Amino acid sequence: QDTLTAVHAFPETLIYTQSFLDFVEKVNERGEGVVEIQVRGGPEAIGMFQQPDAVRNGVVDMVYTPGSFYGGALPEKDALVASNLTAIETRENGGIELIDQIHQEKMGVKYLGWFDSGVCYNLWTRDEPTLDANGNLDVSGLKLRGNAVYNAFFTDYLGAQVIDLPTTEVYSGLERGVVDATGWTQIGLIDLKWNEFLNYRIEPCFFSTDLGVIVNLDKWNNLSDEAKTILQDVAIEHEAASVGALKAKRDEDFAALEEQGMQVVTLEGQAAADYLAAAREKTWARMQGLMEEHPMGTENYDKLIELFYDESADPT
Amino acid sequence: MEWYAALGLLLGSIMLLMAAGMPVALAFLAANIIGAWIFMGGEAGITQLLNNGFGSLTSFALVPIPLFLLMGELFFFTGLGSRMFNAIDKLLGRLPGRLSYVTVIGGTGFSTLSGSSMGSTALLGALMVPEMNARGYKKHMSIGPILGTGGLAIIIPPSALAVLLATLARIDVGALLIAGVIPGLILAGLYIATIWLQVRIDPDAAPAYDVPSMGLAEKLRLILRDVVPMLSVMVITVAGMIGGIFTPSEAAAFGALGVLILAVAYRCLSWENLLKSIDGALRVTLMAYLIVFGSATFSQLLAFSGASSGLIDWATGFDLSPLAMLLVMFAVLLLLGMFMEQISIMLLTVPIFFPLAQGLGFDPIWFALVMLLALEISFTTPPFGLLLFVMKGVAPAGTSMRDIYTSAFPFIGCSMFLVFLLIVFPGLALWLPSL
Amino acid sequence: MHSIRRAYDAVLTLMAIIAGAMLVWLMVSIVVSVAMRNAGLQPFAWLFTSSEYALLYMTMLGAPWLVRERGHVHIELVTAALPDAAQAIVSRLVAAACVVVSVILAWKGAELVVTNLERNDYDVRAYYFPKWILTAAFPVSFTLMAVEFARFVFGPELMHSGEAGIHE
Ligand code: NA
Ligand code: NA
Repeated sequence: QDTLTAVHAFPETLIYTQSFLDFVEKVNERGEGVVEIQVRGGPEAIGMFQQPDAVRNGVVDMVYTPGSFYGGALPEKDALVASNLTAIETRENGGIELIDQIHQEKMGVKYLGWFDSGVCYNLWTRDEPTLDANGNLDVSGLKLRGNAVYNAFFTDYLGAQVIDLPTTEVYSGLERGVVDATGWTQIGLIDLKWNEFLNYRIEPCFFSTDLGVIVNLDKWNNLSDEAKTILQDVAIEHEAASVGALKAKRDEDFAALEEQGMQVVTLEGQAAADYLAAAREKTWARMQGLMEEHPMGTENYDKLIELFYDESADPT
Repeated sequence: MEWYAALGLLLGSIMLLMAAGMPVALAFLAANIIGAWIFMGGEAGITQLLNNGFGSLTSFALVPIPLFLLMGELFFFTGLGSRMFNAIDKLLGRLPGRLSYVTVIGGTGFSTLSGSSMGSTALLGALMVPEMNARGYKKHMSIGPILGTGGLAIIIPPSALAVLLATLARIDVGALLIAGVIPGLILAGLYIATIWLQVRIDPDAAPAYDVPSMGLAEKLRLILRDVVPMLSVMVITVAGMIGGIFTPSEAAAFGALGVLILAVAYRCLSWENLLKSIDGALRVTLMAYLIVFGSATFSQLLAFSGASSGLIDWATGFDLSPLAMLLVMFAVLLLLGMFMEQISIMLLTVPIFFPLAQGLGFDPIWFALVMLLALEISFTTPPFGLLLFVMKGVAPAGTSMRDIYTSAFPFIGCSMFLVFLLIVFPGLALWLPSL
Repeated sequence: MHSIRRAYDAVLTLMAIIAGAMLVWLMVSIVVSVAMRNAGLQPFAWLFTSSEYALLYMTMLGAPWLVRERGHVHIELVTAALPDAAQAIVSRLVAAACVVVSVILAWKGAELVVTNLERNDYDVRAYYFPKWILTAAFPVSFTLMAVEFARFVFGPELMHSGEAGIHE
């Protein structure tokens, strides 16, 4: 029997971690006698930003983490961030296979699966957002909380005054008015209690979550073929299953928020298209810039965009 | 390896190394090297140790500690601190044992600003004990209140340790700070009652002596000149935090800036003062942060090796009542407090205790406050409490450890009584944050 | 030889001075960024990031100096209970163990810097910052700490005072 140790980036209580633990349970059930995943814990066992290095170096065999936590090593993760597709389509069209190849070449890890995809990000504000004459979002005067993932979009396109705050400080930042707007995934606002202060959700949503399972490549190569098959099969099944599960969770969250008075402001027509195009293109530009600095260069750039972005999937 | 073997190995090696006299930070690093080698796959584990240290040090949550320290050191070295002490001494007139009250009130103000129990104990010990000795006070009347002030400082906002605990435990920083206000005032009241009782029982403990009497106008002038401005630094720091001008982590910078501005206004800022203050703050910070560097991985090793989850499963397996479990955790904190400084204890116990407390149905803010009190009590508990040794270091020659132990007991009793009150009336902590 | 030692001591002191400057920088960067924010300006993101990096440099640059100053807190139980001769032996052995720990970490730290360079690693915060510039603090700091602890192994002075209690 093969055994893999695993850690997850987020605390155990978070929905994304629960999804990963579901996956682990399925593997351990299906793989009885063949392969077992032993979860060693979350950020308390290995710091969340140290986990990618830990799996590269073989301290742990498997990590469940956003690609953005190792964006310095693998800027191609931005293809997932800017994607408007889910793991279902990109597994089918070979996108995930390409991402797996890049992971193996650049980081020496196997990319087993893109879980919890199909969840995107919204801008959330305390006060009613104002739109200009053309229906574009006007962010002047907004105190917008930022971080490394969305600053390119927020500052370069929106021209917002971004205030960098760690996630742990956002609650008191909102409470005391240090910030009055933030980006966040569609799911999770309620867990963080930020909905106590935020009253508007701006549509359309942009970006995508980029959570995936990576496995140390030496460890992967030394697994029995049977173990590999089980891990890969269960991962592909979970990729698809988690899309549905999180969509359901999102609808649940949105309903609960709306019941508490959360209002939705939707950008229309050209304004919406420009907004989404900016989020996407600023992110691609960052990806391209960082890829150029790597010896492998930008050889996969066009291919990645082709596989992870489908114009027809944008809202019209 | 079974969880108890892993736990025994990790805790055993750290205690052995510390007892042998290895600097605490190095003892952590050594225990980590051993632990990383065994549990994290040999050499790669040691690289992980460095990566972990990098991650835990480059965190904004640690910024307030050096700045609160800088604030306190500036307060001391510019003489603004003793200015306030003198003014209060004069204002209290003939009140028996007044310098003991002054120590509690002024010392709490000071150590709450400095945020470091060790630093403020050293400074207050050096400042107040000789002064009170000279005026015929018995030793316990000076040493006891000084040891007590650290406990007040840790729960009355601003408190760097409270900020750190809230961040580690992922609870609302603002709520924890505000939760400390009422219990802090109660504890201060208990201290004052203790001193009053001590002077009643033994009037010789604090001999009365005459100070020149002052008119009301002069008193008012003294208050406005020497007391109000110093207190206002603290008030502004708290107000700015509540008013959304800066976050709790940023507040310490404004505290330090406030003392600097005051020192300029009072013409008591010199290059020498400034450099001494930075030097003092730097020493304590470096000492504490290298320990943070080491203990970050230590607590991760406890988690990664399965030792801490094993301990939780084992301890919760007894099916004790929540109250009994609280006492067990309290005892563990007191025990660890004998060997470690507070930040390490937090890093070590938070990932174990908070999930446990949550499982037992405790309010996390309330539990965090009880934990802060336990940490401070353990700091002054004989025979090994760290502050007792610091006090021994700064007290006048001829002060025995026994003097220090007996001085500490009444004030430890007050803190214990406060914990008891918090258990019986959780609202004392939770009422203000709920508003 | 004498002048080499003096130059070395001066380097250590200079590093401590830089560490002190980092501490002051923490205050300045926060005050500036809060002031900008409240004036309705965009605080520079590097103000925030630089204060986080300053914590690392401060600790690593100052740590060897603090060894020289005997500023790293330790507990004297065993050393205080022993007769002078035995106490000196234990004290030097403990210092030697500290040398071993520092050397291991200096060695692995140097390897980490090489790995960061090879992998072209970045620390990702508000900016993408080359990681080796940060991790380079490890081999420098732990090497000098090893030297300072070695002075307590072979030099005339002991790390421990022989008085019971906590020392910092
Ligand atoms: Na305080
Ligand atoms: Na105390």
